[in-house]
Amino acid sequence: MNAPARRSSAGIPSRSSARRAAVVVGLYVGCVVAALAVAAALVAMTGGPWRKVLSALLDGSLRNPGRWGTTLLEATPLLIVALGVIVATRAGLVNIGQEGQLAVGAAAATWVAINFSGPIALIGVFIAGFLGGALWAGLAAVLRYWRKVPEVISTLLLVFIAAQFTGWLLSRSFLLMHYEKGVMNQVQTSKQLDPATRVGMIRVAGNSFPWTAVAAVAAAVAVGVLLQRTRWGFRLTMLGHNPRTAQRIGVPIVLAGASALMLSGGLAGAAGAAMLAAGAGGYTFTPGFSNNVGWEGLLVALVARNRPLACIPVAFVFAMLRTGSGFLSSTGVSRSIAEVVRALLVLAMLVPPALLALRERRQGRGIAAVVTIAEPLAVPVQVAQ
Amino acid sequence: MPDRLDRPSGEGLAPSPGTNNTAVATVELRGVTKRYGSVTACQDVDLTIWPGQIHGILGENGAGKSTLMKMLIGLVRPDHGSILLHGSPRRIHDPQTAADLGIGMVHQHFSLVDTLTVWENVLLGDHHRFDRAAARRQVAETGERYGLQVDPDRVVGDLSAGLRQRVELIKCLRRDPSILILDEPTSVLTPAESEDLFTTLRTVVVGEGRAVALVSHKLAEILHATDEVTIMRQGRVVEHRATAGATAADLAAQMVGRIVSLRDTAAALGATGYTTSRGHRLTEPATDEVLRVEGVTVVRHGVAVLDDLSLTVRAGEIVGVAGVEGNGQRELGDVLSSLVHLDRGRVTVDGVVAHPGRAGDMAKLGVAVIPEDRHDSGCVLTMSVAENLLLDRIGSVCRAGFVRRAELRRRANELIAEFEIYGAGPDAPFSSLSGGNQQKVVLARELSHSPKVLVAAQPTRGLDVGAIEYMSARLRAAAASGIAVLLISTELEEIIDLSDRIVVMSRGTVIGELDRAEATPERLGLLLGGVADETSKLAGGR
Repeated sequence: MNAPARRSSAGIPSRSSARRAAVVVGLYVGCVVAALAVAAALVAMTGGPWRKVLSALLDGSLRNPGRWGTTLLEATPLLIVALGVIVATRAGLVNIGQEGQLAVGAAAATWVAINFSGPIALIGVFIAGFLGGALWAGLAAVLRYWRKVPEVISTLLLVFIAAQFTGWLLSRSFLLMHYEKGVMNQVQTSKQLDPATRVGMIRVAGNSFPWTAVAAVAAAVAVGVLLQRTRWGFRLTMLGHNPRTAQRIGVPIVLAGASALMLSGGLAGAAGAAMLAAGAGGYTFTPGFSNNVGWEGLLVALVARNRPLACIPVAFVFAMLRTGSGFLSSTGVSRSIAEVVRALLVLAMLVPPALLALRERRQGRGIAAVVTIAEPLAVPVQVAQ
Repeated sequence: MPDRLDRPSGEGLAPSPGTNNTAVATVELRGVTKRYGSVTACQDVDLTIWPGQIHGILGENGAGKSTLMKMLIGLVRPDHGSILLHGSPRRIHDPQTAADLGIGMVHQHFSLVDTLTVWENVLLGDHHRFDRAAARRQVAETGERYGLQVDPDRVVGDLSAGLRQRVELIKCLRRDPSILILDEPTSVLTPAESEDLFTTLRTVVVGEGRAVALVSHKLAEILHATDEVTIMRQGRVVEHRATAGATAADLAAQMVGRIVSLRDTAAALGATGYTTSRGHRLTEPATDEVLRVEGVTVVRHGVAVLDDLSLTVRAGEIVGVAGVEGNGQRELGDVLSSLVHLDRGRVTVDGVVAHPGRAGDMAKLGVAVIPEDRHDSGCVLTMSVAENLLLDRIGSVCRAGFVRRAELRRRANELIAEFEIYGAGPDAPFSSLSGGNQQKVVLARELSHSPKVLVAAQPTRGLDVGAIEYMSARLRAAAASGIAVLLISTELEEIIDLSDRIVVMSRGTVIGELDRAEATPERLGLLLGGVADETSKLAGGR
């Protein structure tokens, strides 16, 4: 009987969990310090103010007037995207096409916003965003269950098709392009959203952030409860961890899997709508609108190790890197170096979960976690443009 | 019964120990014993294999054949006894030592890398620098010499089972072994491929004076291809004889043993409460047929894995499905687990036509399943014990879609007490349970919603004696309570012990059916060995 041996390795929670937490914190601190050191060296080599890298990042993301509001604004779509990632992962599906689903969702939201007006239209914007993302992910679901195309591949490749597709939508004036009379070279942007379809801002102590930030936190709690506490979440987990058992017990694999994938894409699309309605691109839809939010939302879920509530602080930290590096480039550090600094810090956030997952695998457990961590890491994730 | 292969009379035949004292055996095992905990895999085994001979090692699953061979190639070390190679005692620490000593083995499950080419696979495990041209030449030459032609540049994944086995053989033979061990070599081969294999083996033995150990439970091929045969049962050698003059019936009787002796053994192992009386045995067979499988055919990759299979199970009876592993038992289990669509035929439960490909349909109609591999479709390892106990009825502990944890735990505790699942509370991860307790969780869940049919596939595989006894008692009790029980097993002893009626499966269909009264081990052994029994009723005729 190997039961006793297995039980001890599977985790006596009390004593080892404290040690485990210390290991996790230590790993993160070590990685971030190392990344900052490399960043400072890079800035120094290019003749910038290397001593001020960390303080500039903090100034830009938190300390300067109005900055934490901006960071919250940036964190909102990251969080929503990450929640979508978690839903798919729970069903055993690896959706890495959020960048494209977000763009298509934002395009659909734009179409509603420029064609309808009034307070109902704002709700319509979010619904359209959700549906756009869901349909884009639905293409991958069809390929997955009809033709057995792995969703890792199809969702990734659909990102690039989405870029072309939204570009085409923006090149037709009867679709999304804002046609200006008498101008020779038409710019590929949509009409600006009128104020009725913009999200209201909450103002606190000189900072303003959209109410979608509050909604996103509520959504994180809701997703956590749904996955952890409901029959739906239970069946989704069963599907993700053992599809054959699920099929025997009576979870329809195709239906449940496809709807999880579409929900995942829908959340990415809703994130796109949230960005648009909260002022991204100056309340206009433009080529390159998604601006890596899809990719980074994927990374947020990765770092949060697929725990919805953990996504809240992680999304905020990733948003800090976005706003902080933007500010860094205004302190005399070149734009490209500032992007590299951000990429280094993102990398620093990703190393600990990867190492932890490897350690768990060596201990013979958490195999599902390793798969979900390792697979997205295997694809080229562009952080710096 | 196929004719014996041509073999040179006299010289190829065994210089049996005692008759020819000058010959030196290639391999000699003396009093070899191996125990795993309380289970004795091999007990005081003597085995002598002579050069220029094919030596058959016959026995049921679990008779100790594989353990014996593992000791020869250094995967397992004997507790007692000695191994002599060419007359001198040797210690075989690991497979590398075994290979250096001239022992080669072709495993039942091939150890080839599908994505590599043939010559790359042949080279795997070599230490020195590899030489592509030389390796390809060697593959070609070895193939030529033994009639094992295979293109060295083909990717192994594209090859048929027969060709893959050629690659395995080439891998072994190019190291010039003095003894070649084959573990169930024909289990994946077509009859023609098997014939080719035996021809090759004959060349190896007669032409080059090597020794071959052929491990098998197929009577026909032992009779057909071997010079001597050693029969094992429950870890012991029960017979050693020249193959010439043996009949299938003799061998089958020896292989299976008598029920009486099996019972004695079970008692000796401490299986208390081992009942021989069968309280639920039906005197009048008038109950309804609950499960009807009619003409079911499932085709996979162009092969009919289930081929016009028909069987029925009545309420309150245990029907045993006997058969050599890989003859469609797994697929039959999958059909009854709603995991595959049928290509032809139909399954009805209590008169209602089932849709086996539709998620949960069999379960909904009242078919409970203890799957062959519980990790495959019987549980979710990462969930807790309580969640696994209520996997299929999570809805019953939900209110408005929310799982009530307290209720879940309470229900789980009831089942844990009723089914004596020791070792962990409801919140422990399922994976922390021992194999026996995991199996009890599956059993508890499947029985807890009063099914009409219980399918138990290899229900005692890998369990210890106590857990086996518990499982047997539960299956009997289930039948006694009016459940139609279908027992799918490769353990003949289990089938004979538990079943009211026995059907024998081969190549995806039922080839014979016996009432318990007429199921002598000899007849079952013959059927299992693929020898048709004309006196058995054909299932289709019922």
